[in-house]
Amino acid sequence: MMEDRSQGQVQEQARPEGAGGEAGLYVYCIGPALGGGCCGVTGIEGREVDAVVHRGLSALVHPCPVQPYQTANLEVTASWVQAHHRVVEAAWKQWGTVLPLSFNTIIRPEGGLSAADALRMWLEHEEGALQAKLDALRGKAEYSFQVFWDPVVIGRQVAEASPDVKRLEEEVQSKPRGLAYMYRQRLEKLLREGMEARAAQECRELYGRVARCAERVHVSRPKEGQEGQVMLLNLSCLVSTGMVAALEAEADGLSGREGFSVRFVGPFPPYSFC
Amino acid sequence: MEYRGAPQATLVDLLDRVLERGLVLDADIVICLAGVPLIGLRLRAALAGMETMTKYGLMQDWDREVRAGAQSLQKGAALLAGQAVQPGLH
Repeated sequence: MMEDRSQGQVQEQARPEGAGGEAGLYVYCIGPALGGGCCGVTGIEGREVDAVVHRGLSALVHPCPVQPYQTANLEVTASWVQAHHRVVEAAWKQWGTVLPLSFNTIIRPEGGLSAADALRMWLEHEEGALQAKLDALRGKAEYSFQVFWDPVVIGRQVAEASPDVKRLEEEVQSKPRGLAYMYRQRLEKLLREGMEARAAQECRELYGRVARCAERVHVSRPKEGQEGQVMLLNLSCLVSTGMVAALEAEADGLSGREGFSVRFVGPFPPYSFC
Repeated sequence: MEYRGAPQATLVDLLDRVLERGLVLDADIVICLAGVPLIGLRLRAALAGMETMTKYGLMQDWDREVRAGAQSLQKGAALLAGQAVQPGLH
């Protein structure tokens, strides 16, 4: 097993630099051209980060071969992703607004232009739209707001609130085995429907409460929860500085409800809102 | 009050955002095609090899989340398919 891993690592390092050397540019993020250097952090694999500046915009980059970063090694992936994030976050703190680029955005030389010139041309072409986005994101941050419930606790609540479930539960006690099985099936179906209805209702209400605190909300598919918890809502929220406390209060209030918990994490640069 | 105990961003929070979101530079000067997170695809393939990595204490948070997820699904949490709660939110 150990050999597998070290082999994997050897393959990772072997990113050929042959064809074209480092004619490409890995782009981390775009922001306003403010001067003041490149945020003082190193990039992926310790690379020094440069700024490509064009008029009012700058892009943080490092030179790289004209091919994507790829690996099957999670440890290497984690270090790349953390490095990308480190640069974006430092830029965000320095600039007050940023457009993070998706991982593995690599510019290649195009039509006789170097990658840097191709990037400048793109910045010029997109200047208006990019500036508008940067302005819209100023003073705002992204927060993750994930709501979980405990299906055992909620299931009990649903059962207690439903006269039909209660009646069936009582009847099932007095039935012979064969019939009791059928009753139990009906009971499960009833409970499942009750919980689905409850989930839909909670999601609508919670989404509404969260959305009132946020400029924008990005809904992701719920992930699997931990320790018996089920994720009900997986939201990313773009929140103005002045509204963070309100959103935190929502998280607080919800966590105080029986059977519910919230994971409220941030701030992140606005990855989900550009 | 769970979030008070776990206010830190995890690697999974970062992976979700850095790999799958962010501005997609949709121009032919970019070598990665828009909307194709190459690394994301490779990552999912690599999940199978995770057992090896956790032996060395790497990626434990990640692993815990994935495993706990699988367990909670088995434990009748299947009552709630992820899809069932989504309609009406988009």
